[in-house]
Amino acid sequence: MKDYETLIVNKKGNVVTATIHRPNSKNAIDIQMLNDLSGLMEQVEDSHDVDVLVLQGDGDIFSSGIDLSAFSPEKTLDVHGIHKWEKMCRQLERLDKFTVAAVNGDCIGGGAQLVLACDARIGTTKAKFQLNEVKLGFLPGMATFRIAKYIGLGRAKNLILTGKTFTGSEAQQLGMLDEVCEYKDFDALLESTINSLLPFNPVALQMGRRLLNECYAETYEDFLGDFLAAQHRCLNSESFKKLVIKAKKDQTS
Amino acid sequence: MIAHTPPNQNAVSRRPRIVSVGTANPPRRYTQDEIIELFGETDKRITRFFKSHHIKTRHLYLPDPVNGKIPNESNQDLSDRHMNGALELGPIAIENCLKPLGLSPEDIDYLCCISSTGFLCPGITAHLTKNMGFRDNVHRFDILGMGCNAGLNGMRPITGLTHANSGKLGLMLCVEICSAAYVYNKSLVTAVVNSLFGDGVAAALIRDDQSDDWQRGPQILDFESYIITDAIGTMRFELEGSKQSFFLDRDIPYVLGNHVENPINRLLGRNNLKLRDINHWVVHSGGRKVIDAIKYNLGLTNHDMRHTLSVLKNYGNLSSGAFLFSYNELRREGVIREGDLGVAITMGPGASIETALLSWKS
Repeated sequence: MKDYETLIVNKKGNVVTATIHRPNSKNAIDIQMLNDLSGLMEQVEDSHDVDVLVLQGDGDIFSSGIDLSAFSPEKTLDVHGIHKWEKMCRQLERLDKFTVAAVNGDCIGGGAQLVLACDARIGTTKAKFQLNEVKLGFLPGMATFRIAKYIGLGRAKNLILTGKTFTGSEAQQLGMLDEVCEYKDFDALLESTINSLLPFNPVALQMGRRLLNECYAETYEDFLGDFLAAQHRCLNSESFKKLVIKAKKDQTS
Repeated sequence: MIAHTPPNQNAVSRRPRIVSVGTANPPRRYTQDEIIELFGETDKRITRFFKSHHIKTRHLYLPDPVNGKIPNESNQDLSDRHMNGALELGPIAIENCLKPLGLSPEDIDYLCCISSTGFLCPGITAHLTKNMGFRDNVHRFDILGMGCNAGLNGMRPITGLTHANSGKLGLMLCVEICSAAYVYNKSLVTAVVNSLFGDGVAAALIRDDQSDDWQRGPQILDFESYIITDAIGTMRFELEGSKQSFFLDRDIPYVLGNHVENPINRLLGRNNLKLRDINHWVVHSGGRKVIDAIKYNLGLTNHDMRHTLSVLKNYGNLSSGAFLFSYNELRREGVIREGDLGVAITMGPGASIETALLSWKS
């Protein structure tokens, strides 16, 4: 795997682990990290021997959110840069691999936005989330689009408009995290989470995930059309053909 | 795998551009409900095809109703409608295409007319040359019966000719008077067709001229064709009494979707591009199912397909010229930036999938 300035990337078998690494800035997100994450998405997308991408933070922090110190009143962040961030999040959300967010410690703002884009989301009891952008005077990105789908509109309003912090356990109760454990058990939880996702059927993963992501946005008729097209593709995939051959074989033997 | 040299690696790196597109439709526009009313159709199994909200209106050359209903039409009536429609709308579309550049028919060196909704001999190019004043030595060719994909099948030789003869002007005209191919016999097969296709004509001007920049239009970098020969019978004209009636197989939209990656991967692969590098998609508005299938097989969004969807909604399936209507909507939107890349996809009988790679580089 390629080296990145703000990410430590390791590949073990079919699993790539990207660790957010800006030790002097509490893993805050700057332009370099955005570029690194974009590069990582392309690299993982192009790797045919990768089934799973894990995102985690270095040390006892996932990310402290956007690095406001990287900007100055004269040279403020423009919407073009914001769009680039959202493109990267979308690429993560639609990646043709399984994606896992493993959260320990603070996971603020943009960090939480990354988590919402992943297929599986796990944390430790030390995880602490906050989407405090509105409190600060801007917006928590397209988390505004995603979070209510996980936790419901009322809870989403509460979290986004108050900017309050919530723990890993609370995030699990809300439905944002799938599972939470003590830090000492985190490696085992990550491993069992990955195993629960595999085996990897890239076509079914992409079709199923896309339908789920779009299920709140379309009418029944439009969605049915999409579903039929997606299912047609799955039924004509190599893995489904193998399944049918195996079923025939099992029946005759 | 077929060996193929990427054409953009040729000595001359400049490629012909689509420098203008003009369109035209019959003056009368019908809602789906109005058409059901005119045909006096009450069978729910048939009217449901007209109720899909993916098509709101279509421009059609329907005959004047007699006692509120469409009269029975002879083969001659339909054939006349095709010729009259072609010779009424063709010149309007051509003028809409040429006028913005201050050009007229006599400037055109290559003229290609495409149609699958009627048969004329002499062809449409001959009639238009007489009616519009193209030169007597204009290099003409007519492409008949290739179906909805044919716009790119015509663009390919025009692109080749203009590339080999820089400065020369190539004009392509897609003429589809689909209402001249309607057969009304109360069957579900014809209901599918009668509820889907609309009338429209589109002209595209192509030239290879160093004075054109990206704002004038995209360079046509490459083409890739694909034919699914197993599906040769899935979309076809067949005789229904004395009339040619178009037949569309129920599952062909999904089969096309399922194969679309093949030409796209070849087209992008040999140009060292990935799907994510493509900014704009110009896709034939074939119908709701095939649009869904292409979306899910290429991972495209409703936003990527917005012009394809809106052309379907406002015009129905315009056959070979539909992708040029989408192209014009994209242009009018004003979102294209220098250096952007686009892919055009048309699909139709064969079953065929035709693709082209467009580049808005200077």
